Amino acid sequence: MAINLQKGQTINLRKNEKGDSIYDLSSVTIGLGWDVRRQGGFFGRLFGGSDSPEYDLDAVAFLLDSNGKVADMGKSFMTGNGREIVLYQGDVIYFNSMRHPSGQIWLTGDNRTGEGDGDDEQIIVKLDQLDQRYQKIVFVVSIYNGIVNRQHFGMIENAFIRAVDARGREITKFSLSGDASLNGMCSMVFAEAYRHNGDWKFRAIGDPYPTDNFIEVLVPYTYR
Amino acid sequence: MAINLKKGQRIEIGLTKMTIGLGWDPNEGRGYDFDLDASAIMIDADRKLVSEEYFVFYNNLNSPDGALTHTGDDPSGKNSDGDDDEAIIIDLEKVDERVEEILFVVTIEDFERRKQNFGQVRNSYIRIIDNSGNQEIAKYELDEDFSIETGVEFGRLYKRNGSWKFEASGIGYRADLGFFLEKYYKGQIIK
Repeated sequence: MAINLQKGQTINLRKNEKGDSIYDLSSVTIGLGWDVRRQGGFFGRLFGGSDSPEYDLDAVAFLLDSNGKVADMGKSFMTGNGREIVLYQGDVIYFNSMRHPSGQIWLTGDNRTGEGDGDDEQIIVKLDQLDQRYQKIVFVVSIYNGIVNRQHFGMIENAFIRAVDARGREITKFSLSGDASLNGMCSMVFAEAYRHNGDWKFRAIGDPYPTDNFIEVLVPYTYR
Repeated sequence: MAINLKKGQRIEIGLTKMTIGLGWDPNEGRGYDFDLDASAIMIDADRKLVSEEYFVFYNNLNSPDGALTHTGDDPSGKNSDGDDDEAIIIDLEKVDERVEEILFVVTIEDFERRKQNFGQVRNSYIRIIDNSGNQEIAKYELDEDFSIETGVEFGRLYKRNGSWKFEASGIGYRADLGFFLEKYYKGQIIK
């Protein structure tokens, strides 16, 4: 039975509720999922409810060093069609830089709509092999174009982050449901995994931010 | 190198001057400040508060016998960066003879309304230091060891055969400072 976390709670990823070290951290899947609350009622359509754009939530991971900062901010370049790509192949894993150069953490792919009951996005990390210079991984979710599309976490139901071990066993899950305190919030620092006394722990955070751009959430974690 | 006592582990103190230190990082995110409080409860042989002035907390900084001195309330954790934000300085030679035991607790002010627990408070710890050698005798990391709790009985100094011992109790509660007062107060509490 997986442990359901509350905000602030920390657990040892390797251990079950009884404290036995049973989980295999050679590969851990961090799964994120959400459902969007159905808009309005009878007149919902009249006010654009059902025609509003789909929610596109993006999972992002920051790999932090022992100072709690992102050491490698990656590269910036322009694509052939004039789009600027930033943070490429650095210590931030996101939709434009899905695989870390070490090969030990990657994002499986963008789910644009949140359809389906399982994970909508997955980040896979080989925790046991992750280089010692990475002490913490922060998991962030942002609503792509949330501000323009007037989408926010107050409208999201059943948002969760969970950790599943290499053998497919759910270790822990942290669920959040949109309430008034999340109105206008387009990003969320959802959870973090961190080294502690030679082991990996997981902390439920659930701190919301108004920005829909994860780079603003990243700023306090940078050396600049 | 700190000696981190396991729960229930006891040591002979043999010291007279110590400091209870409480430290934590301010809330850098949104929402309310984190207001952690260190308090001491000086109890008699019946395990009751000797008198109300022997409840040392942010509103009563000195015990009447002069044994305990609280450095004052820090309502946000901004007093120091990385060091103790609140402290209680102890001189066991001055302890009133009715006092058999001194309990040290840490609580989060207004945790219920602010929806807070220790797990949200970064780098939060409580420790006891020997002032002569500046050595940590015991320490708990509150955010790691008590993440879903809001009140912790950290430890107790108690007298046995005329000498003081320290026991690291490490008992977590989902409770506030009022809970600890009610537990040890003889009379009716006028709030």
